[in-house]
Amino acid sequence: MKLLINPSSRRSFLKQLGIVGGGLIVGVPLSACANRFPHGVDTGDRANLQANAYLQITADNQIHFYMGRSEMGQGTYTGLTTLIAEELDVNPEAIQVHHAPVHKAFTNTDYGQQATGGSTSMKISYLPMRQAAANTKAVLLNAAAKQLSLPVSELQTDNGMIVHGEQRIPYGEFVALAATLSVPDNAPLKDKSQFKYIGKDRPRLDGQAKATGTAQFGIDVDFPGLHRAVLVRCPVATGTVKTVDDKAALAVTGVKKIVTIHNGVAVVAEHYWQAKQAAALLNIQWDIPKKLAAFSSDTGEAQFKAALDGDDYDTAMDAGDGADALQNAAQIIRADYWAPYLAHATMEPLNCTVKIENDEMDIWVGTQSPGLARGLAAFYGDIDKAKIRVHSTFLGGGFGRRSASDYVGEAAAIAKASGLPIQLIWSREDDTRHDLYRPAAMARFQIGVNKDGHIDSWVVRRSGPNIMAYTIDEALDAIAPGFLPNGMVNWMSKAGYGLYDGVTVDHSSVEGLYEDYSVPNKEVQHVTVDPGLPCGFWRSVGHSFSGFFKESMMDEVALAQKQDPIQFRLTHLKDNPRLANVIKIAAEKSAWSAPRNANRAQGIAAHTSFLSPVAQVAEVSIENNEILVHKVTCVIDCGSVVNPDMVKAQMESGIIFGMTAALYGEITLKEGVVQQSNFHDYPMLRMPQTPEIEVHIVDSNEAPTGVGEPGTPPIAAAIANAVFAASGKRLRRLPLKLG
Amino acid sequence: MIRFQLNGQTVEADVPSDMPLLWVVRDHFKLKGSKFGCGMGLCGACSMMIDGQSTRTCILPVAAVANRHVTTIEGLQDQDSQRLSALQQAWVDNSVPQCGYCQSGQLISATALLKQNPNPSDTDIDNAMQGNICRCGTYPRIKQAIKTTAQQTAAVQMFEPTTAAEG
Repeated sequence: MKLLINPSSRRSFLKQLGIVGGGLIVGVPLSACANRFPHGVDTGDRANLQANAYLQITADNQIHFYMGRSEMGQGTYTGLTTLIAEELDVNPEAIQVHHAPVHKAFTNTDYGQQATGGSTSMKISYLPMRQAAANTKAVLLNAAAKQLSLPVSELQTDNGMIVHGEQRIPYGEFVALAATLSVPDNAPLKDKSQFKYIGKDRPRLDGQAKATGTAQFGIDVDFPGLHRAVLVRCPVATGTVKTVDDKAALAVTGVKKIVTIHNGVAVVAEHYWQAKQAAALLNIQWDIPKKLAAFSSDTGEAQFKAALDGDDYDTAMDAGDGADALQNAAQIIRADYWAPYLAHATMEPLNCTVKIENDEMDIWVGTQSPGLARGLAAFYGDIDKAKIRVHSTFLGGGFGRRSASDYVGEAAAIAKASGLPIQLIWSREDDTRHDLYRPAAMARFQIGVNKDGHIDSWVVRRSGPNIMAYTIDEALDAIAPGFLPNGMVNWMSKAGYGLYDGVTVDHSSVEGLYEDYSVPNKEVQHVTVDPGLPCGFWRSVGHSFSGFFKESMMDEVALAQKQDPIQFRLTHLKDNPRLANVIKIAAEKSAWSAPRNANRAQGIAAHTSFLSPVAQVAEVSIENNEILVHKVTCVIDCGSVVNPDMVKAQMESGIIFGMTAALYGEITLKEGVVQQSNFHDYPMLRMPQTPEIEVHIVDSNEAPTGVGEPGTPPIAAAIANAVFAASGKRLRRLPLKLG
Repeated sequence: MIRFQLNGQTVEADVPSDMPLLWVVRDHFKLKGSKFGCGMGLCGACSMMIDGQSTRTCILPVAAVANRHVTTIEGLQDQDSQRLSALQQAWVDNSVPQCGYCQSGQLISATALLKQNPNPSDTDIDNAMQGNICRCGTYPRIKQAIKTTAQQTAAVQMFEPTTAAEG
C-alpha cells in the first residue's frame, strides 16, 4: 500500500527515489531560497532553483529522512537529523537517515547543484529542514484530531506520540488519514525556549556505526561479480597514453581485462591485489604535457615572484583611492608570503564502483557532488544521465577532494570499456600524485600606515593558479547538453579556462586577503601564474593561504608600530564587531597578557571565512629548532548552534588539519612530476604533536554560519606569530621551518 | 591453504601466501571494517590485533598469520550479546569519530594498548597511538576516550568483590 499525499510531479520524484513501503511522505516546497553561484557553476537548469526536504513516516512508525547533504565527518548527518527531530518531536535516534539520490529537490540553494561544501549545510538547512518537519507534525495533528474526534487544540505531541490527557498514540496510527489531508506549508516553528535537542551537546548519530566498522564507505561496496580496477596515470598530470605493452600484465592470475581510457591504462582483475601487481608490469609510453613537464618547484617559484614584480595584473577590487593612497603613507610596510601546493590526503583513498547493465548505470560512491558525479559518469560512460542512479555512501574524508568527480569519470570509462562491473581503487601514491591540489600562492603586501600609526592603505597582489579554471572544465563535461560532441565540450572548457586570466578574477584566488579590517583605501591585484598542475577546492579554499598571509602581515604591521597585536587588530575592527568579539574572548580565555613560562610564547590570528569569525591563540615553544605547539585557544561565532559539541569537534578538526599544513604540508614538482607519494614524504600531524585545544562558542541567536572550514585558516598565522614572539624570527613561508 | 583464527573462529583461505592479510580479510572473508589507507604500513587504518599486538596488515603476507589469532574491529564486540566493548562505548559517548574511516584501526590500537597497559599515561597513549593517522583530527577525543575507559576499568576492578575482600 502506497499512500501519497503529493501531486503527480512528486509521485514521479518518489519513484525515482525508489522509496519502498507505504506511509506518509511529505515533500515541502521551499521557494524563498535565493539562488547564487559563488563558485561559478550554474547547471543552467532553471527548474533547479528550488529545494525540497523529504520525510517518510510509515504505519509501523518508521521515520525515514532522505538527506541531501553528504556526511564526510563534519557532522551534517547528526545536525540535519537534529533539526528534523526537534520540529517533528521525535528522538533523533529514532530517525533512519539515508543519503539521498540525485534529484533537484536536494539542490544546495547556495550552489545551484546537489553539493556539499563551502560550510553551507547548516546555513541553508536550519529553517527549511525544521519547516519540513513542523509541517509534517501539523498534518499528523490534524489527522489525529479528525480520527479521535477532538479539537486539535487539545492534542499535543511527545516523542513520536500524539498525546491527549493520559492517552498516547504513536504517529503511525494516523499516517493513513494524514495522507489524505493537505499539508500546511507554514506550520509554526518552535521558539528557542522550547528546544529539546537543538543547542544541546548530543552524541553523533553515526558514532556507533563508525565505532563498530559497520558504516559503509564507497570502498566497502561489494557484490558477486564485482571486479577491482587499478588505473595507471601519466606521471606528469593530464598526460595521455601514446602506446601500451600489456602482455606481462595480462598474464597475471586473475587479470580479466586491460583497457586504455582518456587518462591512463586500467587493469581489471578479480581482486585489488592482483590488479595492483599487474599494473606494475604495464609498459606505457605517454604524451606528456610540455608546459607542466617544464616546471620544477625549486626554479619555478621565481615565476610567481616575477609576476609580483611586473606591471601586468588584474584588479580584483579597490576601495577609496586604492594603491594611489600609498603615496600619502607615513610608513609603508612590505612583505612577500608563500604557500605551496597541497594534497588533500583523505584517509579513504578515492574509489568508485560502477555497474552497467541493460544500458543503465548504477554508481556507488562517496561524493560531495552526486549531481556532478552523475554528469561525469554520463560523459565518460557515454550513457544518458536519466539512466544513471547514484548511490551515495559515507565519505572517508572530503575536505573538498570529493567535490570533484574525476575518479567517477575514470570508473565509468573503465566499466564502459571493459564491459565489467568494476570498483576503481586509487592507491595512496595515486592520491598524492594525482590530486586536484590546493594551489600554490605568493602574495605581496604593501601596507601604508599614517602618522597616527593607523593603517591607511592595504594593497595586496597575489600570484598563482586559479581553481575555477579546473572546476569549470569538469563542470562543463558534467553539464553540457548530451547532443554536443565531446570535442566541442573540450573546446568550451579551454575557453572557460582563459576566462580567469585577464577577463575576470577567480574570487577564490583572492578571498580573505583584504576583507576583515576597516581600512579606507584598499586594492587587491591578481596575476595568474599556472604551471598546469590541476587544482581544486581544499578545506577553506583561498582562505587556507590568505588566512596565513593576512594575519601574519597584520602582526608585522602591529609590531612595527610597537603595538600589542590584539589591541592593534581591535582598533581596525570598528566595522566588524563579530570578529572583534571573538578576539576579545580569545585574549581573555588564553590569558593573553598574563606572564608565562620563559620559553613559551603566544601568537594570535583571527579570520572570517564562510561567514564565521574565528580567533585562535597558539602557545608554542621552540626546542632544537623544532616548533612545538602546546595549546590552542579557539573562539568561533557561528550564529545559532545546533550541537555545540559538534562545533567543538570541527574546531579541533580544522586546527589539526591546518597544523599539518602549517608544519609539514608541501607538494613539490620536478619536471612536472609530483615528488611526494605517501605518508613518509607527505606527513600528517599525529597524536604526539597534537596540542591541547580549548574551544569557546559565542552564544548567539543569529542564523547559523559555517563551521566545517573556518577553524582552519587562522592556525598557521597564530603559530607563526607565536614563533616570532618566541624567537624574533618572522616566517613568511609555509610550511613553517626554523633554521 | 592457510589456516588461522579470525575473531575466534578457525578459518581457511586458498589465496596466494604473499597476499596481504588486509585484502584476504576484506575481499575473501568480506569483513569490511578494516580499511585500506596507504599500503605501506604508515597510517594504521588496516590495523588488526595479531596475538594481541596491533599490527599493520596492508603489508603483512597472510602466510605470517598461519595458526595465529587475528582480531578485527568486528571482533571487539561481545560475540554473543553484540554489546560494545568499553572502549567502543567510550568512542560513541565522546563522539570520537568524524569521517570514521580510520577509527577501526584506532580502536584496535587502543584495545591492544589497554590490554597491555590498563592504566596508561598520556605519553604511553601517544606512543601507542602514533602509528594511527586521523586526517579529521580526532586525536584529542581518542585520548579522552582511552583515559575514560582506563579510569572506569580501574574503578570496576577496585570494587570487584574479591579484590575488596582481599583489600
